[in-house]
Amino acid sequence: MQVLEQGSADYFAVDPDGHRAWVREHKERRQVSKLMDEHEAVARFVADGDYMVYDCNYYSRGPSSLLREVMRQGKHDIWLCGKFTYVAVSLLVGAGVVSAVDVGFFGRSKVVEDAVRDGSLTMYEYSNVTLTLRLRGGAQGLPFVAARSWGGTDGFEYSGAKLVQDPFTEKPITLLPSLNPDVALIHAHQADEFGNARIFGTGIAHQEAAMASKKVIISAEEIVSAEEMKRNPGANSIPYYVVDAVVEAPFGAYPGIMAGIYSSDAAHIPELYTALASDSLDGYLDKWVHSVGSHEEMLAERVGVQRLLQLRREEIITEGYRA
Amino acid sequence: MTAAAAFSEREHMVVKVARDIEDGANYWVAGGGGPLYAVLLADRLGYAKEAQYITEDGVIAPEAELPFQAMGSMMSSRAGYRAAHWGTMNTAGDHAQLGYMDYGILNTLQVDQHGNINSTVLGSYEEWTRRYGGPGGAQTIAAQCWRTILMTDQQKRKFVNRVDFISSPGFLDGTEGARERAGLPAGTGPWRVYTPWATYDYEERKLRLIERSPWVTVDDILEECECKPLLAPEIGVSEPPTDEELGVYRTELDVRGQTMDRGTWVIKQDDGTYQRQEMGA
Repeated sequence: MQVLEQGSADYFAVDPDGHRAWVREHKERRQVSKLMDEHEAVARFVADGDYMVYDCNYYSRGPSSLLREVMRQGKHDIWLCGKFTYVAVSLLVGAGVVSAVDVGFFGRSKVVEDAVRDGSLTMYEYSNVTLTLRLRGGAQGLPFVAARSWGGTDGFEYSGAKLVQDPFTEKPITLLPSLNPDVALIHAHQADEFGNARIFGTGIAHQEAAMASKKVIISAEEIVSAEEMKRNPGANSIPYYVVDAVVEAPFGAYPGIMAGIYSSDAAHIPELYTALASDSLDGYLDKWVHSVGSHEEMLAERVGVQRLLQLRREEIITEGYRA
Repeated sequence: MTAAAAFSEREHMVVKVARDIEDGANYWVAGGGGPLYAVLLADRLGYAKEAQYITEDGVIAPEAELPFQAMGSMMSSRAGYRAAHWGTMNTAGDHAQLGYMDYGILNTLQVDQHGNINSTVLGSYEEWTRRYGGPGGAQTIAAQCWRTILMTDQQKRKFVNRVDFISSPGFLDGTEGARERAGLPAGTGPWRVYTPWATYDYEERKLRLIERSPWVTVDDILEECECKPLLAPEIGVSEPPTDEELGVYRTELDVRGQTMDRGTWVIKQDDGTYQRQEMGA
C-alpha cells in the first residue's frame, strides 16, 4: 500500500498483540466483585505516565468524581484523550496531572496556553471523530482505522495519520493509528458489582473507550444487583469482563448533568469560568478537590443536601433513562 | 409579519440561515449557539418542518425541549428529548460518511477565500499568539456533509487570504479535486458563509459575495475582508428579521442573550432605513 503523505507527530504506541497479551494476562474472566471506593480504584488503576481516556465531559455525564480523585492523588505525566471536552482539560492541566493531549476539542484557557508555552504540555492534533474512530480501532483489536476525513487539514501534519492509496478503490484514504488507552474512566447510570454497566441516553464513545482500554474504572450513580442487570441484557452497555473497578458515585457527574437523574449546577458554571479566566486554578481546585478527602465529603461540605435535591427536582425529563 | 424595530446584527445572521434551511434535508449542526438555533428556528417558525438534525453525540431528529440550560445544547435530556435515535459520536461520523448529512452548519473563528476553517491557533503553529480548542466536530462536518455552511462575524481578521491553520477543510488550495486528492468524499465542500452583514457562496471554489444587509454597502463589506471575494453580478439585499422571528428566537432559543448582549444593534428609522448602533461589550 502506497503512503502518499504522513503526519510527523508522535502517537501513542499501536500494539494489538501487546494488548491481547495484556487482556490474557490481566483481565479477570470470572464474575467477581470489583466494588471499591474511588480512592482505591484510582490508586490501583491510574498510574503516572498512563494514557487516559474519559467519556463525555465535566458538564455532561463525565466521570467528574473520578477526575477529581485523579487530581487529588496528584497523578502526573498523563497523556489525555481530549475529545469533546471543555473544562476538564484545563482542570487536569491546572492540577499538574497532564503532560500531553490528543486534541479533539477543549475549551480554551490561559492555564492550557501557559503550559504549552512553557513546554510542560505537548499537543497532538486530531478532531473529535478522528479520536472516537481511533478508539473504535482499538476496540476492534486492529492497528489502524480508515477515515474519509482529516486529510487536507494542517492538523494532519501534527498527528499520527497517514494518507494512503486504498488498494480496493485506488482512491486516497486516511488511516489513523488505533488507540488502546492504558485507562478509561466512565460514569454510568447503573452498574452491578461485576462491572456490567448501563448508560442511558447518548454518549461520545463510552463503549469504544471501555473495550479499547487496558484498565477500566466505572463509576455509577447506582449499584444494582447482577440479577437486575440480567432482566434486560440489551440495555447493558458495557460487559463485566472489560471492567476492573466499580465505584458507587451518586452525583458522580457533578457539576454536570446526569440525564434523567439530575440537572447540571448552573450556579457552579460562573465560578468555574472565573477560575478559568484567571492565571491559576489553585483556588478552585483547592475548594473542590484538595481540601476535601472524597467525593462524598465534597457533596456534603461544598454542595449540600438542599442543592443536590434541587438538582434532582430540576431534571424533569426521565423518559429513556431507565431500563 | 412586521419588520422588527431593533435587533442585534448577530440575530439577523441567525434568522438569515433559518430562512435558508432546506425542508426535508438532514443537517449536522455544531452544538451550541447559532448553528443549532438556526435549524430550530426554521422548525419553530414552520419554514422547514421536515428538516431534521443530528448533533455530535448522535442524537437524531429530536423534539428538543426548549430553552436549553447553559452548556446544555448537547448531551442533555432536553436536547435529546423524543429523538428518533440516540447514538454516539461515531454514529454522527458514520452517517455523515455514508452521505446522509446534506448540510453541516458551523461557527468559525477564521475563514479564507477557499472556505478553509481555523479553530486551532492564531499565528503560526510553532509561534502562536492564541491557542484555541481545536476542530472538535467541525472537521468531520466540513469533510463529509454534502454542503457546509459557515457562520461568523464580518471582520477583516476573520476573512483572510489563507487561514493560519486549516483545522477543518474547505476547498483547500482551491484547485479542482483538491479535496478528493486529500481523501475526502467526492462532491462535498463549502456552500455558504453567513455574516451579520453579508452572505457568500462560492464560484469555482472561491468565495463570492451574493447579498448584503440593508445597513451596509458592498464597500463596507469589502473593507472588512482581507481576502477580497468575487462579486455576484447582482448583489441582493437581505430582509431584516421580523418581530415574529425574533419573538421565537429570544423566548425559546437565545434566552440568555448570547447573540444580543454584545456587538452591534440595528435600529429601524422612521424613514424605513436602518441605523447601526454600537452597544458596547
